Amino acid sequence: MGKLKEIKPLHVNPLKLSQPMGATLAFLGIKNCMPLMHGAQGCASFTKVLFTRHFNDPIAIQTTAVNDITAVIDGGEYSISEAITNITKKVTPDLVGLFTTGLTETKGDDIKGASLLLKDKQAIVWAHTPDFEGGLESGWSLSVQSVISQLIEPSTKLNKDKVLLIPNVNLSAIEVEKIKETLELFDFEVYALPDLSDSLDGHLGIKQGALSSGGISVEAIKKLGDTGLVITVGRSVKKCGELFKEKHTQSTHLHFDSLVGLQACDDFYGKLLTCKGLSKPHASIQRWRKRLQDTLLDTHFALGKAKVIIADEPDNAYALSQALGEVGTKVHAIIAQRSDISEAFTCKVQIGDFEDVEILLPSFDAIISNYHAERLAKKYHKAVLFRGFPNYEQVGIGLKNNILYEGTCTLLCEFANMMVHHEGH
Amino acid sequence: MINKKLIKDLLNESACSHNKEKKSSCDKPKPGATSGGCAFEGAQISLFPYADAVHLVHGPDTCLGASWETRATLTSWEGENNTPLGYCTNVTTNDIIFGGDKKLAESIAYIVKHKNPKAIFVYETCVTAMIGDNIDFTCKEASAQFNIPIVPVHAPGFVGGKNLGSRLAGEAVLDALVGTKEPKEIHPYGINLIGDYNVTGDMWQYVPILERIGIKVVATLSGDGRIEDICQAHRAKLNVIVCAKSLITLCRKMQERYSIPYVSVSFYGKRDTSNAIRSIVNAFGDEAMSERAEKIIIEEEAKLEARLLPYREILKDKKAILNTGGNKSWSIASALQDIGIEVVATSIRKATEEDIAIAKTYVPILMKVPANEQAKLIDEHNIDILLAGGRSLYTALKKKVAFVDVNQEKKVSYGAYGGLENLAIDVCAALQNPVFKLAGKAAPWEN
Repeated sequence: MGKLKEIKPLHVNPLKLSQPMGATLAFLGIKNCMPLMHGAQGCASFTKVLFTRHFNDPIAIQTTAVNDITAVIDGGEYSISEAITNITKKVTPDLVGLFTTGLTETKGDDIKGASLLLKDKQAIVWAHTPDFEGGLESGWSLSVQSVISQLIEPSTKLNKDKVLLIPNVNLSAIEVEKIKETLELFDFEVYALPDLSDSLDGHLGIKQGALSSGGISVEAIKKLGDTGLVITVGRSVKKCGELFKEKHTQSTHLHFDSLVGLQACDDFYGKLLTCKGLSKPHASIQRWRKRLQDTLLDTHFALGKAKVIIADEPDNAYALSQALGEVGTKVHAIIAQRSDISEAFTCKVQIGDFEDVEILLPSFDAIISNYHAERLAKKYHKAVLFRGFPNYEQVGIGLKNNILYEGTCTLLCEFANMMVHHEGH
Repeated sequence: MINKKLIKDLLNESACSHNKEKKSSCDKPKPGATSGGCAFEGAQISLFPYADAVHLVHGPDTCLGASWETRATLTSWEGENNTPLGYCTNVTTNDIIFGGDKKLAESIAYIVKHKNPKAIFVYETCVTAMIGDNIDFTCKEASAQFNIPIVPVHAPGFVGGKNLGSRLAGEAVLDALVGTKEPKEIHPYGINLIGDYNVTGDMWQYVPILERIGIKVVATLSGDGRIEDICQAHRAKLNVIVCAKSLITLCRKMQERYSIPYVSVSFYGKRDTSNAIRSIVNAFGDEAMSERAEKIIIEEEAKLEARLLPYREILKDKKAILNTGGNKSWSIASALQDIGIEVVATSIRKATEEDIAIAKTYVPILMKVPANEQAKLIDEHNIDILLAGGRSLYTALKKKVAFVDVNQEKKVSYGAYGGLENLAIDVCAALQNPVFKLAGKAAPWEN
């Protein structure tokens, strides 16, 4: 249902975030990992500042600090090995997540070769993530794919009760934890890759920011080969599940585009029940479904008449728009980058920036987007619900739960209350 | 094109004190041990406050996508404020193969058509420097076509750090804008403010005071700045560098070209603000003005003291450690002393030779490796408050002392006399907050 827009040569007030930024977050979901961005120092610095302000916590990241001389005479080996030497002087990472930027892809560095040269010194996973292609979601996904192909050891065994959850980049720390918990209620042994639920969940830790402070351990990743079931959430990571299945053919892959809204959750739990040969889920899940049913009815008064713009990463825009569609909200989605998921939207969808948002906003009631929506919401007196990256305005970003029956209830109530409150002003 | 000779000259600036002793360049990033921003960011910080110009970044996403609308620089410009807006050519694979010049030209045309700005700054980035786009030529053509200044800024990230980028931005302004327009009249006490970006309105704390003394701000680089003003900056009588060593080259060159002398000042804290006003006034050598200034200083200091009175009791005998970078290592120390706090130690880890020399005059202990030293110093000196970046929060909690994050984007101005009250309010709030003793408390099962 995409709407044509004026083809313009530039981005005005961009919505898009870059691939290396997605890669950074992916590697922060691995325990004791140092994300190492192969590029000029600024790429890592901008990324660090954005995520530090977003999460309100120190962010571990380093840069190979390519300069105008090494950019010309070095194929990557020098700056990468220098970086590893300097990093290991201060800390002992279990893994270095090495990934490229536009600069180092333009000069065509051989990061695989450079990593192999250093393999006796430091465990490294490398990923190609130029910022002139893709965006946040694809950078995350490409890094996960690299981890799957480079770290997981082959296994002849199969553990049917072992689940690997691959969330998309938009899921918050607490959302990853909620999915893990719900899977545990089905008696699965659950691993998430990446696992931000105990690294960027805003916990108080010692020596913050030197390395990723939590996440799945490298040892656990290596042993994922016997995983019986791989679950991917979000179209951007579907490929990760397919890649895993291709490498470990005995496993089963279940994919879900979204876990927000009644239908998406029913689909999720329905498939899990079939998988486990059960007739009913845990009582708490049944209870939360009933609460969601009631919430759908309670919120449809306010939300059924609302017209809202969602400007976000494709997977999150899809999940939110489908869930709001269930209570009759009219949604126009503007997504940050091209994605396969755009065909699945049942509302209007276009790729765009905040200039496109601003053109549409006067005829809508509210906007759901990142921090940059605030200025526009104020200018046009519209309600604003903050979702997506970056969110500099609010605290507790990692604790926001909008998935499964419970999280959908929270989302709908928060949005409905906000709409009512906004109308009153 | 990147001008290698210019970069070399900028790094060996003769007006930088460290270059008199040794021939080390100002910055050289180390792979795997670098945390600061790049030259592009430095250029962006220096020029984005021109709200009446559009700032177009010629490169892929990371450069702008993560950095637009992040700095609280304020403007009084009544037209569309371009500072918090982001314009990016969004270079993609196709442009890298075929060149990005066409896209740049089209982007400039789009901006002129839809935004009608006073000028456009075009920022070169690593990728567009690598693929060899002829940005100078594209800007020159467009400038002739649209009859507004279109200024290329050659500070791609890989040439160095923020400081160098800021210098390169200064050069771009000097070459393309300064001296291109003659003012209707020349003010006898006209100054340029160089290096204050009016973050949280810092400038507005002291500019009205200068005006009362009879001084007029002709142009700024670039807080609350206007393109038309900077074009006429060569007719000012004095350049005032505000806490920004990076733009010293620009001021030296303006002195050579236009015989404009310069003074370097800081508007943080009571003593430094008064001294800043004195150095500006003294540069004019007008006795009547000096007398007027002294009167106003006495008046402002008395007003400030009255406002600080309610906080004095709380701040009395309190001891602090300061762990921050650059000129903040001494300017904030000075401001803290002015509100009655004893600053026991400050970090010089990221300070220049010049900053270290100044810091010595304010603070007894200079910490070279604050991460290792500060915890010990807190115990030894019975410290009450730690002012540092977020990474030090855990140290504060462990030692049960109050904490202020000085590196976080501040919401209110700490500048000049008026800002000092804001600093006192924030420090008092931290000192009185029980959270720092509570948050790090051991759990019942941890004892």
